[in-house]
Amino acid sequence: MEQSFQYFLIPFLSWEMMLLIWAGVFAGIWVGAIPGLSVTMAASLLISFTFSWDLNHALALICGVFVGGVYGGSITAILLNIPGAPAAIATGIEGYPLAQLGEAGKAIGLCTTVSVFASFVGILALSVAAPVIANFSLKFSPRDFFLLAVMGILLIGSIGGGDPVKGVAAGAVGVLLSMVGMDPSTGELRYTFGNIHLMAGISFVTAMIGLFGVSEALTQFRNAGKKSPKQNLDRIIPSWATFVKYLPLSIRSSLLGVFIGALPGTGGDVAALLAYDQAKRTVRNPSRPFGTGAYEGIVAPETANKGAIGGAFIPMLTLGIPGDAVTAIIIGALYIHGLKPGPMLMIETPHLFWMIVSCLSIASVALMVLGLVSVKPFAKIIEIPKEIIMPVVIILSVIGTYAIQNSVVDIFYMIGFGILGYFMRLYGYATGPMVLGLILGPMLDANYRRAMQGAENQLLPFLEGFVTNPISLFLTLSIVFLVFSQTKVYRRWRGFE
Amino acid sequence: MSDLSSSLPEAPEAAPAVKDLSVFVPEAHRRPGELGAAALGFLLGALGYYFALDMTSGEYSSPSVFPKFASALIMACTGVILLRGLKKDKQKDGPGLAAFLLPMDVVVVLILLVAYCVALPWLRFVPSSFLFMVIGMVYLQRGKNIVRAVLISAASLAVLVAIFRYLFMVILP
Repeated sequence: MEQSFQYFLIPFLSWEMMLLIWAGVFAGIWVGAIPGLSVTMAASLLISFTFSWDLNHALALICGVFVGGVYGGSITAILLNIPGAPAAIATGIEGYPLAQLGEAGKAIGLCTTVSVFASFVGILALSVAAPVIANFSLKFSPRDFFLLAVMGILLIGSIGGGDPVKGVAAGAVGVLLSMVGMDPSTGELRYTFGNIHLMAGISFVTAMIGLFGVSEALTQFRNAGKKSPKQNLDRIIPSWATFVKYLPLSIRSSLLGVFIGALPGTGGDVAALLAYDQAKRTVRNPSRPFGTGAYEGIVAPETANKGAIGGAFIPMLTLGIPGDAVTAIIIGALYIHGLKPGPMLMIETPHLFWMIVSCLSIASVALMVLGLVSVKPFAKIIEIPKEIIMPVVIILSVIGTYAIQNSVVDIFYMIGFGILGYFMRLYGYATGPMVLGLILGPMLDANYRRAMQGAENQLLPFLEGFVTNPISLFLTLSIVFLVFSQTKVYRRWRGFE
Repeated sequence: MSDLSSSLPEAPEAAPAVKDLSVFVPEAHRRPGELGAAALGFLLGALGYYFALDMTSGEYSSPSVFPKFASALIMACTGVILLRGLKKDKQKDGPGLAAFLLPMDVVVVLILLVAYCVALPWLRFVPSSFLFMVIGMVYLQRGKNIVRAVLISAASLAVLVAIFRYLFMVILP
């Protein structure tokens, strides 16, 4: 115990590490805020950059970028309705209406505060319950991941706007587009029409930048003369009473985030969407109706995606299995520095575990300070006339799209998705479900087929698994509950109507 | 902490808790081109299903299962939207299809956007982005503040290049 504490103190006693963590958080906030520039990309760039560095210093920088980057994605979602990363899509649903009401400062202030709280929940879970959660997450079968994806798809009811049929249609188009490219399990080409550029599939980040960024810019140009809302920046930090009010929701969503983050292959994006949906279903008296600027709709996804950071480290540090894309890159960094990630990592190099816990803790404190300091300059962005800001947004969208795989073709896709999104908005089709379909489509397809192959392509054994396996049964019942909770009978019973 | 809480916002609590039900009220009139949009969606679903027929099938885990399912779902949903649209009245005094879909500002920005994309591989990032920003800003400000537009474009481009190219080492188009 004493030794663990000593390991924990390593970053606190090194000014270089402290500086690197703070610099990482600062850079991460900006990288995360730009659509297309992801934490994954920043972490992979840093691996090559820090190749010759001491491992402790490299990890300090990457941890800082990770924490800052996940937070930064929400800033542009709130201010401009353009999520910097898929994990911030849900935040924009409530955050952007708040910015239009002149409450961007308060929204970002609340987002920062609950984010820091959730980061600590994730870190606490990592340091206390890592082996237990890691072993449990390994019990998830493809059928369970399929059920998780189905739960995700049910979010269309929450983010689909007013018309559920249009939401489902947009979501199904997203799933269909996610099928484009080479089937990962058989190598068969689907919807590629002999085009080499389509073989790798359509990146959902490209689609997200177009559907949110460019389509938002085009929609804004319909009202070119309209003035941007004046922001009230007098009181930014939420009061203690406000924080306490949202504490139960924050705890619930952070724990959901930790668990989803700990599942290999799922990260902050799925966690944030599930948490938003969960909040929408369970919060009885939101500060405003959901969809019009409910603060609860910011608290839930933000705490979930920050909780997922600590969660993603759990399987990585205990079993050597990445919880998400960033931790996969960190595993690569450990290999480069001569370590062997796996079950022996914590036994052979216990200092590494406690040092990462410590780096994440310092990064969370840095996030609190840097996040709150940047609220006013960030919120001022929205007051810039849209005739000036929107051309810059388009240029940023181009940079972000090109940076994904250095392809001009991706820019054309992005613009195409932007035009499609613009027309969709005109006819009342929400763009969120389409991105959701693009994100969850491959997860649905791959896990359904794996589960079916596990049942030897027999329908009955496949269906039996849903009720005979405890985890599958729990998830199936959760889905039944989610569907039931949408019915009038349930809503009347719970007093929502 | 008490000092802090007394001077800080009450907005989340004080926000009006009036339920906005307008999104649930179906529109009485259909928007210009609404039927066409639903028909295009249906066509997309039909084409998706048609091309999925070429994929390997025959088993519950075949690669064609989800493409067929998604295509069928698109056809079903857009079919419902189409039928619902047919029941609505056509808007009489509203804008025409072209004015509704593409107001002049959107047309100009779209043309600029396509021209920018085409010019990008030829002129490279800095000149094409600079031209796009200057022309876009000048047009959207109705020809006013040309010098300001040039200065803002140059400054923002310099900042973007400095941050992305040199700080984050991102390759620009």
